[in-house]
Amino acid sequence: MMKILVCIKQVLDSDRPVRIHSSGKWIETDPHGLYRMNRFDEFALEEALRIREAFPGTWVDALSVGPERAAQTVRRALELGADEGIHILLDDERYRMPWETASRIAAYAGNKGYDLILAGVMAEDDMQGQVGPMVAEIMGYSSATAVMSEKLIPDDNRIYVERELEGGHREAFALTLPALLSVQSGINRPRYPALSHVLRARSQKLITIAAKTWNPPAPRDHVVCLVEPAPVKSSVFLSGSPLEKAEKLVKILRENAWL
Amino acid sequence: MAMMRCRDNEIMVVAELLEGRILPVTHEVIAFALALRGGDSQFIRMIVPGRDIQEMANELADAIGIDVIALEGDHLDPYNAEAWKMALSALLAEWNPRYVCIPHTSLGCDFAPGLAAGIEASCITAIEGVCNREGLITFTRSIFNGKVMMQVASDADMTVLTVLPGVFKAEEKFPTFPDHKKGRVEVVRVPEVLQKTRVLGMIRAEERDLDLSIADVIVSAGRGIGHEENLALIRQLAGLFSKSAVGCSRTVCDLGWLGYKHQIGLTGKTVSPKLYIACGISGAIQHVAGMSGSKYVVAVNKDPGAAIFQMADVGIVEDLTIFIPLVIDLSQTDPHSPA
Repeated sequence: MMKILVCIKQVLDSDRPVRIHSSGKWIETDPHGLYRMNRFDEFALEEALRIREAFPGTWVDALSVGPERAAQTVRRALELGADEGIHILLDDERYRMPWETASRIAAYAGNKGYDLILAGVMAEDDMQGQVGPMVAEIMGYSSATAVMSEKLIPDDNRIYVERELEGGHREAFALTLPALLSVQSGINRPRYPALSHVLRARSQKLITIAAKTWNPPAPRDHVVCLVEPAPVKSSVFLSGSPLEKAEKLVKILRENAWL
Repeated sequence: MAMMRCRDNEIMVVAELLEGRILPVTHEVIAFALALRGGDSQFIRMIVPGRDIQEMANELADAIGIDVIALEGDHLDPYNAEAWKMALSALLAEWNPRYVCIPHTSLGCDFAPGLAAGIEASCITAIEGVCNREGLITFTRSIFNGKVMMQVASDADMTVLTVLPGVFKAEEKFPTFPDHKKGRVEVVRVPEVLQKTRVLGMIRAEERDLDLSIADVIVSAGRGIGHEENLALIRQLAGLFSKSAVGCSRTVCDLGWLGYKHQIGLTGKTVSPKLYIACGISGAIQHVAGMSGSKYVVAVNKDPGAAIFQMADVGIVEDLTIFIPLVIDLSQTDPHSPA
């Protein structure tokens, strides 16, 4: 039986305003609690569920490292169809560097015998793209990032993957299992939760493990501060009613002889 | 030729090659390394991994004027993450540079974090800037689709950096010392070991439309257009201009609203039209990297905090389903007739 772990992250909904925390090290916690699953991880979870459909008996765990609120996102993974939800609970809202997160995931997953670990290509909030390949390295798994297709063949201990390159080209690899893939967006169309899973998720307990169960990984880097970006160009915002703005824009387009 | 080892302030740049040619992005990374070293090329060295690359390494050392390590191994070309990480980590353990600079490309992103994890190095990705804050070197990178910048500092002896393409200006020739006009070349041969990763080859993208690369005007759609139906507005708007084309962000392709041949950005096309109209585009660096060469940028987005406004000449904070029809109407009326 194949065992899959999907790494998911809870992120601030991207439509919410982003305010830098007074410490300068991360952003303010959203007062309305509008958090959701990182979209890139939705593709990873969907890919795991498709593998389970193709290979019945496959087991899918979903794991998130995060503060208390991250439990909602682990539960969301159950609603979408994960078999088990694991929450590595952080004590506070402080930002953790990718190495710290990867170390904790590897500490949990190390002796669980996962054949395949899936992650999104990056998180929408910190955009690092590091946790997946770092987990692979710590655990000695073969790995590929930006995966646009994967194929498993029964009784073959390899996974066949195509990863995305610039300009839409791809390169293909065969990875010996166990392996870790970070999947690129667009690899599939993530599903909506089925009612049966939603009902089950409501009563199912999460496996919650305090992050401090393990010795904290020694950080290798740290955030000095967050800053507002400096504008690249001095842009002019058009003002007025929608019609007035449209008039101004059309005038600019005509002055430059584009229209 | 013997060389000095273990200069702890040395910077190594890992070159990226495609079909035996060095990619321009490598020159950008050298420019970044130079900025990091305060313009002093003496401590910058380039690693060129591949097969039968000595000749090319010689040419590069001559042309650029920095020292080159030809990392030779039959299994290093074509690219194989496992083989590269193994070969590079052995080399880096021996040379012990302060920084390892890698292009933030599909290839660089694939091996850099794992390489760093394995050699107890710090890893900082998608770098857009470097600054010295009272002796502390910090690296600047975008987060939240460019709405905020994050400055990161390393706490490790060695730091792996991936440098965002299109930010640092590549130079043809780098300053060298008088006795050091041409770079020296050292060849390091890597023994082949059994791999868990097997390369199966490259799959080329289907022939793309040339529309985007030759268009004078590109009207581009992002997730912010809201619904697939609103693409009709984008097409109509594009239709107002001669030599125009419709582009989009990756998300729009992922949603299946437009084919990937329309995608502009790091993993799509790079364009530099005379006029770029960004509709409902957040301005994530992955997209901006593909259109930052546009001569004039108009951005329409209902989120005033969208990063796209930072690089727009004209910004319009408006719901585009209201705004675009108005523009279409107005542009079709004769400008000389009384309103």
